[in-house]
Amino acid sequence: MNNTPLVQLENVSRIYQQGKVRVRAVTDFSLNVQAGEFSVLCGPSGSGKTTILNMIGALDAPSLGTVRLEGRDLAELGRSDLARLRRDRIGFVFQAYNLNPVLTACENAEFVLALQNIPKAQRRQRVMEVLAEVGMAELAQRRPDELSGGQQQRVAIARAIVSHPAIVLADEPTANVDSATADAILDLMARLNREQGITFLFSTHDQQVMDRARRLIHLRDGRLEHDEVRG
Amino acid sequence: MQIFCFALRNFNRARTRTWITVGAMAFACAIMIFYASLLEGWLAGMEKNAVGMDLGEFQVHVHGFRVDPDLYKVIVGQEALLARLQEKGFVAAPRLYATGLAAAGNASSGVELRGVDLAREQLVTALNQHVWQGQWLDGQDRTGVVVGRKLSRILGLRVGDEVVVVAQAADGSTANELFRLRGILQSVSQGVDRSGFFMTEAAFRRLMMVPQGAHAIVVKRQQSTENLNTATNRLAQLLPEYEVRNWRQLQPVLARLFNMSDVSLVIMLLITYAAVGILTLNALLMSVFERIPEFGVMKALGFSPWGLFAMIVVESMLQVTVAVFLALAAGLPLSLYFSRHPIDFSGFVQSSSTIAGIAVDARWYCVVTVNSVVLPILFLYLVAGLAILYPALKAAMLKPLAAISHR
Repeated sequence: MNNTPLVQLENVSRIYQQGKVRVRAVTDFSLNVQAGEFSVLCGPSGSGKTTILNMIGALDAPSLGTVRLEGRDLAELGRSDLARLRRDRIGFVFQAYNLNPVLTACENAEFVLALQNIPKAQRRQRVMEVLAEVGMAELAQRRPDELSGGQQQRVAIARAIVSHPAIVLADEPTANVDSATADAILDLMARLNREQGITFLFSTHDQQVMDRARRLIHLRDGRLEHDEVRG
Repeated sequence: MQIFCFALRNFNRARTRTWITVGAMAFACAIMIFYASLLEGWLAGMEKNAVGMDLGEFQVHVHGFRVDPDLYKVIVGQEALLARLQEKGFVAAPRLYATGLAAAGNASSGVELRGVDLAREQLVTALNQHVWQGQWLDGQDRTGVVVGRKLSRILGLRVGDEVVVVAQAADGSTANELFRLRGILQSVSQGVDRSGFFMTEAAFRRLMMVPQGAHAIVVKRQQSTENLNTATNRLAQLLPEYEVRNWRQLQPVLARLFNMSDVSLVIMLLITYAAVGILTLNALLMSVFERIPEFGVMKALGFSPWGLFAMIVVESMLQVTVAVFLALAAGLPLSLYFSRHPIDFSGFVQSSSTIAGIAVDARWYCVVTVNSVVLPILFLYLVAGLAILYPALKAAMLKPLAAISHR
């Protein structure tokens, strides 16, 4: 059995240059995430949650330290390799949904599969299955501007999980929806984690999300404050 | 395929902007198709006047005749030579030249006497169809002559008037004869208009005492698709004892003018399309800037930099293609209409106007050629392709994270 953690962060620091000021967003942060986890990075605004999520998602690179995904050091990969890694191994759920406005719900969910050159019939079938999973099958032909915030986030989740990624990174996924919708979305992700073993890593300061997590990674001022694993 | 689908969806996204850009490109392209067709027509008219009415495609002379035209420098045995040319796929006609003085009433003018073989001349030029007033020469009319338009004015001649010609004949005697004007030519070239005095070969030989030979053989390709230089070389190899020149060599100024007209078309294309290019660049830059967060998400989800580059290029090429269809729909019928209904500039251009000694027709026709249609289209693709490079590269080089949070 392979015991290599899915995600490994070793002494990671991220320093931004804002004008003449150097801002430390993350300082000497280490973390391992195992496959199948349903974990939350939590903390107040500016604590470094999103920065860590971005580094794990190969959208940002650490100033110091190492980020590994499935044992691969992301610093060793070029732009195209990183694009392929994001396409094949990582699912993203953004706070603002970020669906493509010219594509239907079905086409948005299909986007990553299309990038992977999956044959059309095969990807349509897979997408319709996933849209059914997230309760969006009947609205598959609607464009984002014809969907509510909660419905758009469901489509975004479908897009994130449709290609069977190693991990889904969700940045404040409930921030733009009401609590009932947030509950429904969290139910959905918890079910996908439970039934399909999909690894979820959230960043949030929403108590509703934290209540569902099996692991809470508390951050403060860019440092690990407390790593809490629940039963 | 996916890229094409995206491009297709994005085409109608900012509808007003897209259609303004497409409209501008289509308008410019249609205008350039029309302009290029008009230029082709103008050049074809010039070429028709120069080659089809006067020079012929090639001329064969005795060495030295062109530098020092002399009544005695004749091609002897022209019938055998004409037969050789015909055998090798050329059509040819002999011509005789001399200079003299023509007089009518109180007016007189130096003239270039031209004796033409009526049957053969019409195979190499269309002078017989270029008569402004009266009729072309007739073998039965022993004293009938045709003159250039300006010469008729100088001498105050009208069709049916008598005109006297005085010259020095080949035997040293004074040649003089009374002719009757059968016809006046439309404008051909400065030389023909000012001093062209056409008569039948028989009348010329009788007047000038030249019983045999020809001063020039005017030659035409049987297949006009054969390259002019290739045909010139073939002709020169066939007739090594004579000087062979094609019309471009006989009229180098005109040839340069024709070459320059290609350059002028390209310059016009560049000027017109530069404006279109700036408009396109502006529209595409706006389109890229307002979609930066979207591009960021696409890249975050795994869209490769070059995929994004290709998508933006395909988007713009799609716009160009739509513009090309619109331009063809507008520019082609316009050009075809004016190929049948000429634009009459006679109010602005004098009937005797010449460029490089060749008459300019005051009525301009469009001539639609592959060049006049394809060149404006190719240039539009080229200019749009150049205009899109910067926005497409900019999008390709975006960092996903910065792009997603771009405001």
